[in-house]
Amino acid sequence: MNGIRKRLVGACAVSVMALTSGAAMAQSGNEWTQYGGDAANTRYSTLNQVNTGNVKDLKVAWVHSLGTLESQESTPIIIGDTMYVTSSTGPRYVFALDAKTGARKWTYQPEMPSDYMATVCCGLDNRGVAVANGKVFFGRLDAKLEALDAKTGKRLWTVTVADYKKGYAITSAPLIVKDLVITGMAGGEYGVRGFVAAYKQSTGEQVWKTYTIPGEGEPGNETWKGDSWKTGAASTWGVGSYDAKRNLVFWSTSNAGPWGAQTRGSDSSDVSQYPNLWSASQLAFDADTGKITWGYQYTPHDAWDYDGINEAVLTDLTIGGKSVPALLHADRNGFFYVLNRDTGKVVAADPFVTVNWATHVDLETGRPVEAPNNEKRPQLGKWARNVCPNLIGGKNWSPMSFSKQTGLVYIPAFNMCMDIANREEEYTPGKFYLASEFNLAMGGATGSHLAEFIAWDPVAKKKVWTIEEANMWASGAMTTAGGLVFYGNLDGIFKAVDAKTGKVLWQFRVGTGITQSAVTYSIDGKQYIAVVAGRLKGPPSFFGKIGQKMMEASPEGGILMVFAL
Amino acid sequence: MFVKSGMHCISRVAIAAALVVAPSFATSDDSAARPVNPYTGDKPSVQEGGSLFNQYCSHCHGPWAEQGERPRDLRRLRIRYGDDAITMFLTTVNEGRLDKGMPVWKGVLPDDVVWKIYTFLETVQDDE
Ligand code: HEC
Repeated sequence: MNGIRKRLVGACAVSVMALTSGAAMAQSGNEWTQYGGDAANTRYSTLNQVNTGNVKDLKVAWVHSLGTLESQESTPIIIGDTMYVTSSTGPRYVFALDAKTGARKWTYQPEMPSDYMATVCCGLDNRGVAVANGKVFFGRLDAKLEALDAKTGKRLWTVTVADYKKGYAITSAPLIVKDLVITGMAGGEYGVRGFVAAYKQSTGEQVWKTYTIPGEGEPGNETWKGDSWKTGAASTWGVGSYDAKRNLVFWSTSNAGPWGAQTRGSDSSDVSQYPNLWSASQLAFDADTGKITWGYQYTPHDAWDYDGINEAVLTDLTIGGKSVPALLHADRNGFFYVLNRDTGKVVAADPFVTVNWATHVDLETGRPVEAPNNEKRPQLGKWARNVCPNLIGGKNWSPMSFSKQTGLVYIPAFNMCMDIANREEEYTPGKFYLASEFNLAMGGATGSHLAEFIAWDPVAKKKVWTIEEANMWASGAMTTAGGLVFYGNLDGIFKAVDAKTGKVLWQFRVGTGITQSAVTYSIDGKQYIAVVAGRLKGPPSFFGKIGQKMMEASPEGGILMVFAL
Repeated sequence: MFVKSGMHCISRVAIAAALVVAPSFATSDDSAARPVNPYTGDKPSVQEGGSLFNQYCSHCHGPWAEQGERPRDLRRLRIRYGDDAITMFLTTVNEGRLDKGMPVWKGVLPDDVVWKIYTFLETVQDDE
């Protein structure tokens, strides 16, 4: 966790690592062993063969069709010379490919029930697999967790994590910790109760399961009005991070459900009695027992869908001459947080986009100070107008990257506001339960662009540079020791940018929209860069005219493109 | 008919009670048996239906039915189905299309809510 462990680059190093790969703790060098590149989720690679000087010569090495039409959000995993990548809708396919040529080694098709799609909120995505100890693990949209033999693609076990008919699903890749495979779950729009669960890699036997909302009699349960805790969401649809030294797993939670906050507590900015723990929060779990070690709530008693699931990036920062074991998090609510990952105490919280629902975060109490007179808080039957950010957030799930080389965080961000009001609604299992109405058809918060790609200095707490994106959605980021940061947009333009200056050095049109981060790996001394693309379908569906533009920008399809010099 | 009501707003209940709604969810294509929308053209119902649509349907079909994914674009029901649009609408809403991701609404939304949503949709149909 502390600093980069240098890795050998070259053919012989590859084969050695393929044999000894302790996937969870490997740093990103020749391989890309897990979703966030490393257990700290930095998405930083030490590879530097492709760099600011030669990136202009990057060419397509090979291409693979993902076989489904929408929401391609998979992060390919590369172990040795094999790439594991999933397609959307289920996943429909898990592919093992020769990472050098794209040749298929095996293809696995999970047996999905015919009716799971009607209970998936926001696009039929799958964000990829986790690989460890010769096994490939992935979650499914019908809330099952499955293990395959990494060599053959043969199914080893399948467990039901939750009931998809009640709205539960799994969208993100699981986290590998020692002999465990740990998964979160989605379904916050359906009145579920969130949890994180750990299973034995060998058998699929459950080892622990920790609810994010305390049950009756447990401390924190009283922060929910009446029975609202039972349907209070706090789902965990993002990814976890792991700090081996502290043996802590970090996962964060979605907003409380339903969005109409009057159902869970007060109908005002006075949130003190019913903050709704642990919704919209950062949690630290003991990796062996699942016990919650500490929690920090980003958005108490949320009413805006400021879902807190965005990834926790772990690194040590030097702040005021002192080394801080930091956890970096760019929240949907528009604040960039630096937490102390030992204690959960907030070190810094600063707006990285236009924020007006709160004036600031009080670093003493740790709580956001909301705009006065409930002006920006929706209430039952009362619209809050021009609230920034909107419900897609200052940043959504598309991952940021922390470059150890520049010390900067690269954030795919949005520049939008909304009108929102609370409604009454009754809970029906398996049906959307929002108790909210909203209008998102508004121009940019500052300027007319709808998205931006930001280089953020987490120590100086300010933007270093910004690239504006006219259309909604800048994709996830990936940084390298070649002085580069890679990202793409919904128009399908994949870019290599000088990480220091923000100058675009190379770009390539991949044919449809990019939302996920790229990855990089090296085989036989050659560096490759891979990215998936495909139409984003969930969010555009509720974005009206803006959504129509998003759809027009990115045709249906699913493609994996791999580049090399 | 529907046991569960999603609506508690007083005005909505009042409107529903004030009108004698006798919906027929017949699916026959015999035009004589075609269901009739009791609210067609009623301005308050259009407005309320738009709001209800935004609350229950917009995360898949777009706010105010504005939507770029063609098969889900409900502004094209008339172009697609002509006079059968109303039958098609009621059948799909009642029975869903689970294999495509359209939920079943029978037993979830009361009849008058479904009719008001349709009343709103009638006002946003495209011509081409
Ligand atoms: C979870 C997403 C979702 C929700 C919520 C949803 N729908 Fe749908 N709806 C779909 C999908 C997907 C289709 C199928 C499109 C296709 O056939 O490819 C569909 C189809 C339809 C159709 C048929 C369209 C046609 O031209 O054949 C109607 C009518 C419809 N929906 C009405 C509604 C109404 C009214 C609501 C709100 C009460 C609603 N839907 C809520 C996803 C949804």
